[in-house]
Amino acid sequence: MIEVITNIAKKEFMDNIRNKWIIIITVLFASLTLLASYAGSIYSNGWQDLGVTILIMNSLVNLLITIIALILGYSAIIGEIEKGSMSSLLALPAKRIEIILGKFFGLGLVLTSTILIGFGIAGVIIGFNVPDVNYVEYLIFIGATILIGLVFLSLGILLSCLFRKRSTAMGGAILVFFLLTILWQFIVYFLILITNSFNIGDTRFPEWYFALNFLNPLEAYGTILSLNIPTVASQQIELSSSGYPSFYNTTNMLIALLLWMIIPLSLTYWKFRNKDI
Amino acid sequence: MKFDKNELFAKDRTNVDRYADVTSAITVKNLTKTYNDKKAVDNISFSVKKGEIFGFLGPNGAGKTTTIKSILGLIKVNSGEIRINGFDIKKFEKNAKKNIGYLPEKVAFYDNLTALQNLLFYAKIKNVSKEECLSLLKEFDLSDSIHKKVGKFSKGMVQRLGMIRAIMGNPNILILDEPSSGLDPNGVLHIRNKIKELNRNGSTVFISSHILSEIQKMCDRVGIINKGVLVAKDTVENLSKKLNLKPQMSIELEKISDKITKSISDIKGVDKIEINEKTISIICDSETKAKVILAIAKAGGNIINLQTHDPSLEEIFMRYTGEDG
Repeated sequence: MIEVITNIAKKEFMDNIRNKWIIIITVLFASLTLLASYAGSIYSNGWQDLGVTILIMNSLVNLLITIIALILGYSAIIGEIEKGSMSSLLALPAKRIEIILGKFFGLGLVLTSTILIGFGIAGVIIGFNVPDVNYVEYLIFIGATILIGLVFLSLGILLSCLFRKRSTAMGGAILVFFLLTILWQFIVYFLILITNSFNIGDTRFPEWYFALNFLNPLEAYGTILSLNIPTVASQQIELSSSGYPSFYNTTNMLIALLLWMIIPLSLTYWKFRNKDI
Repeated sequence: MKFDKNELFAKDRTNVDRYADVTSAITVKNLTKTYNDKKAVDNISFSVKKGEIFGFLGPNGAGKTTTIKSILGLIKVNSGEIRINGFDIKKFEKNAKKNIGYLPEKVAFYDNLTALQNLLFYAKIKNVSKEECLSLLKEFDLSDSIHKKVGKFSKGMVQRLGMIRAIMGNPNILILDEPSSGLDPNGVLHIRNKIKELNRNGSTVFISSHILSEIQKMCDRVGIINKGVLVAKDTVENLSKKLNLKPQMSIELEKISDKITKSISDIKGVDKIEINEKTISIICDSETKAKVILAIAKAGGNIINLQTHDPSLEEIFMRYTGEDG
């Protein structure tokens, strides 16, 4: 089983690392992180000044890493079915679960490489210009970013199995992207507004607001950064980490992200197991 | 191939139903598959004997591909049982697929990978060596393109690469869906010879093709599916007999006389005579052909040219399906 998964993962990596869209967005991501890290670090006096830089990089992650993950994922299954290569693959002694896991690990490796390239460049620039880099915090940033990337990859793969056409799967991916990265804040703030749950003088949003945020993995990702990288928390005007409810801790956020990764993958297998090719 | 097929089969024999037909490479029993309440395949049963070439024919949309996909476990069937070398495809999917080579109708590869990278990916899952891949690439005249991305291949090259993927590891069952598609005449001949060679070496071949002459040349038996129902399965010869299809003789004579015509029409077994200038067309039983020639000679006829046409698979196909292949 491991051998088949590894072989499929290797093939996915080799095939997708040559994907022109992945190359373009990776170059864009690396260039923008380079720019942000350079501009932020040359005028800083230390790691504690890099909050804005890391927030900019955080925004790039929200925007570009999610796009790369969804691009990699949305056509993983349906793309191969439409093209015809899935039938040849499934005619071999390869199980469907091995194909899903192989794809996830292979595409995950492409995504991780992209993140490491972008953050590696930024790390070198920061390392050169900033005297007291907190590498532990920087590694937490990288680790959490890889995790959120894998969550979106998992969602993308689920979409690729839910839809019958590559084009509709792409539509689904675009919808997920807009919902979780852009529309989410509008939706929760709108709910707060109509329920009259936050008034002038209140110090904190209601608990349901925080609970609702578990439905968006990007919120869990942002919270991990806020809780573990003080330079990020210091830049957040809206709420400081002290304003979080007790269930908003790193462990719960990690569990939320892991669930966000595992549940879509499990649903993918459940759907793919009975899918006609 | 790194593993011994017999050894592997012996090791996994416990997974084979003790009542399974061991003489059949493929057994399909009461297979039914519906799509949106429409039966694509309706309760079909057949078996492909070990070592034979079985042609599977049918008009477009008749259920050929659905049957092939069911055999390979690519689709979930509504009812029925499918066994490959005795292994139930549902219960022992991996064992069943270990000895299958498959060429789909729509051959596809990973376009960003080279021919060799693509083949090595499949080879690893099938436990086939790199040397065998290189040798097959050479045999199929693709040696010069092993480092070329498959995305830049012509249709014929992709088809040849697909054939390599199907036959690598010398599988004992080959399932080929339109193997000649996109090939030039030389390519068609090469594939046909390769199929025959593999069959001589013991492979069972299940082949679906629109080129009926090709099927007739190669297959031991044929199955004809129409509107999801298997309407015929037998040798071409037996199907001809069942349909009462007879050979046609075209005999060109120096001169046609009434005596000649009468002597032919008096022969028992001659069904029809047509005269066109100096040529007589006769439809008769196979065993009557010699009598006809003898009768012409006795009646003083001088034969210039003689041609016989046995009933073609095309005629059989059209009689069973009412359509062109």
